[in-house]
Amino acid sequence: MLPDGELICVAFLTDAERELILAVLQRDEKLRRAEEQRVRRLKAELLDIKKKGAKSGSRTYSNRSCARCLEPLSPLGVGYCQGCNHQVCCKCRAVRSNGFWVCNVCAKEVDLKKSTGDWFYDQRVNRFLNSPGHNLVGASLRKRPPVKKRETVGEVLLQSSEVRHSQPIPFRQPRQKDPVDFNKGTIPEASDPPEPELEQRGNVGKGSLGSYRTASETSVASWKDGLEAEATDWFSIASSQESIQTVLGKESHTYSSISDPTSILHRVNPCSEIIFFEEGLFKNSTSRAQLPAEYSTEVPGGSMGDRSKSVPGLSMQEEEEEDIDKLVKVHRMAAHRSDFSLHTSMSKSSLDSMTSMYSEAEDYTSVEISGDIVFSLGYDKPSRTLSVFIKECHNLTYGDTARQRSNPYVKCYLLPEKSRQSKKKTVIKRSTVSPIYNETLKFSISHSQLLMRTLLLSVWHSDLFGHNVFLGKAELPLDCRDLDSAHEECVALRGKVILHTKSFTPYKGQLVVSLKYVTTDKPSTDDARVPFSLGKKSGGGELHILVKEARDLTPRKAGGATDSFVKGYLLPAKTRATKRKTPVVRMTLNPHYDHTFVYKDLSLEELRGMCLELTVWDHEAVSSNDFLGGVQLNTGTAEWSASTEEVSLWQKMMQYPNSWAEGTLPLCSSMGPSK
Amino acid sequence: MFCAVSTMTDGDYDYLIKLLALGDSGVGKTTFLYRYTDNKFNPKFITTVGIDFREKRVVYTATNSNGTTGKTFKVHLQLWDTAGQERFRSLTTAFFRDAMGFLLMFDLTSQQSFLNVRNWMSQLQANAYCENPDIVLVGNKADLADQREVQEKQAKELADKYGIPYFETSAATGSEVDKAVITLLDLVMKRMEQCVDKPAQEAPNGEGASKLEAPPPTEKKCAC
Repeated sequence: MLPDGELICVAFLTDAERELILAVLQRDEKLRRAEEQRVRRLKAELLDIKKKGAKSGSRTYSNRSCARCLEPLSPLGVGYCQGCNHQVCCKCRAVRSNGFWVCNVCAKEVDLKKSTGDWFYDQRVNRFLNSPGHNLVGASLRKRPPVKKRETVGEVLLQSSEVRHSQPIPFRQPRQKDPVDFNKGTIPEASDPPEPELEQRGNVGKGSLGSYRTASETSVASWKDGLEAEATDWFSIASSQESIQTVLGKESHTYSSISDPTSILHRVNPCSEIIFFEEGLFKNSTSRAQLPAEYSTEVPGGSMGDRSKSVPGLSMQEEEEEDIDKLVKVHRMAAHRSDFSLHTSMSKSSLDSMTSMYSEAEDYTSVEISGDIVFSLGYDKPSRTLSVFIKECHNLTYGDTARQRSNPYVKCYLLPEKSRQSKKKTVIKRSTVSPIYNETLKFSISHSQLLMRTLLLSVWHSDLFGHNVFLGKAELPLDCRDLDSAHEECVALRGKVILHTKSFTPYKGQLVVSLKYVTTDKPSTDDARVPFSLGKKSGGGELHILVKEARDLTPRKAGGATDSFVKGYLLPAKTRATKRKTPVVRMTLNPHYDHTFVYKDLSLEELRGMCLELTVWDHEAVSSNDFLGGVQLNTGTAEWSASTEEVSLWQKMMQYPNSWAEGTLPLCSSMGPSK
Repeated sequence: MFCAVSTMTDGDYDYLIKLLALGDSGVGKTTFLYRYTDNKFNPKFITTVGIDFREKRVVYTATNSNGTTGKTFKVHLQLWDTAGQERFRSLTTAFFRDAMGFLLMFDLTSQQSFLNVRNWMSQLQANAYCENPDIVLVGNKADLADQREVQEKQAKELADKYGIPYFETSAATGSEVDKAVITLLDLVMKRMEQCVDKPAQEAPNGEGASKLEAPPPTEKKCAC
């Protein structure tokens, strides 16, 4: 939330002044907590209303019924909600101040944006994150939760003064050294089981803090910088400086309670939860981190950072709290049925499906994928039903590697829809790697819709503790399939890397882009002071992307022209922070965008592990935007798929910094998920 | 328009609006806010250390587009007070981005504090949540008529140049204090309405587009 490179220097403050400011920040925190609670309550209300609303995207409804209450619509009372385009009856409408009406879900959404302050935070996010952006890019790269949208300066400053957990799990607070009376009520104290090991590691006194401060003030400039620093650094500092304790937080989500000690390191995301701080503003605070009892394995110094990288998605779970936008997302999708939406990725899913998305998010890579799945597909036109017959799987990998067993089940989606309503699952077969299901999963969907969908079959190991492990998946675009005659197919399961079936996909046009990596020789930030940094040290280079033009875009309607724009993300962070958009170019299939996206503060090394996703969208006034095609630029070795053209352009850009690498890339009709 | 609420920490309000007072040291930001929240005056000059805030809960009555009064809302105001002193500058400006509206204050008895308004403006533009946040220009200490160095016309011209409202207040007498804050609150609330009534970012409402052709004007003018 804070501009980059900005340092708030508080070294000049006297102790008395610090205490005064701290007191103010604590008062602010009290207010903020009340506000957080209020916002949570409001969002719950929205969910409630939304749930009461009936129509969802996975089922079909009579066109002549109200989308909200399902009552039949009288011919006179037909009207489309301006917000979501659902047909709604008179009772389910709310008149807005501008004199026009929207349906009650959309109305609530608007009200919430106001009352939660999101109207403000959304704007602020744009201002402070879109231009520099890299702060978040960097943060999510390292699998740490990016700065929260609603975070305030007061919060950041206050956080620097005490150990704080973003998750509401009870933990011990190192209180004894605190000079000031903290808000005791806000943080649970001593309510957790004893942590003997930590206690030993963690006896920090003021004196040693002092020495820590002197020794490390240049290496760890501040709490914030600490956050930005590689996790490995933290650990090395921790080991060299007896005075700090490192602490691992644990995932507080229930699924992460695990029984398998060997995979602890995969499941604990150290970076996202470590609260590491150095006394910047308030020098008597103690630095300390904690390891919850069940994770009290000794952490091998230096290796955590790397390991955490193998856990994609964990940071994603925390990164965005339920946004109002997201809460109503499914509501919108149901109405628009966009042909393909990239927004179905986990982080954008509705709350409804959060749980299932979460379960998917973890451990995508923690097991080797093996085996195949046998199934058949059939579509019954009269009843508009797609039947997916799951016969069996062969030679699955072990979900529980320690005990060499798997309790597999198959989950099925018709992408792009990934809501809970559209999720179908088989039963769980216990203790087998070649389960036989013989189960039919049915989807109610129109034939024309079906052709635009992709069947996703994923196999999961069900764990007693609800921690499900991904065992592999198969994706089948349904547009080029004979669905009338059900014949058995056997498909090898794949890991999360999606192999694009590019050869089969229709020509979607081309995108002309130029990439340039610009090295910067910015003077390093002044580290002589004891700065209290709220930003990130500037450094690294910039990635410039000139989105020149697209050619031969496929219009949604034959013979039509299209209003299009290009959207960019620098994966793995599919967040607002890395989102870039060109202006809309109207009424042409060969639009010239000539728009430059800039991502700052990136090293070449970082780029190696990133993926630039550029997608072309038909700008729709009435409904949501239509996906027209996209490219994914990366090294090809990372978790994203890439065509040879895409790989070569990306490499050319990295190979020749400060010069433009231009390429004309075929647009792909479907994008591999970012994970 | 106002009602005092005793328990301020509960969440029983409809909006939390954060405003921030800024301006040179000694122009009277703290006393201004003290007057506003507690309706008292403290003539002593106690320099603010870094930052502080005061709270007040008010009832806001929305005005509909047709000019009639609409619903009433409970608004919890968090009024940030900032140190004017240069030494706290890096700290105080960092807080600008958390505020939804600004009381830019100067001292009517100090030409220098008025001259510095420009600097504060550019600080705001650089650090606030957007480039043109809602601001009210406040010339304080209007009661000290014999020491006045800044003429109303001058200040009004500057305010007009920025397109922001201007008030001459006195924390000592309480004159125009409430009005300045309420005007700012009104601007913020109107901005909020505009923000959410705008058609959705990527998919402007279609079917009803013809009806929507005359959206509320987005110019930021004071409603008083």
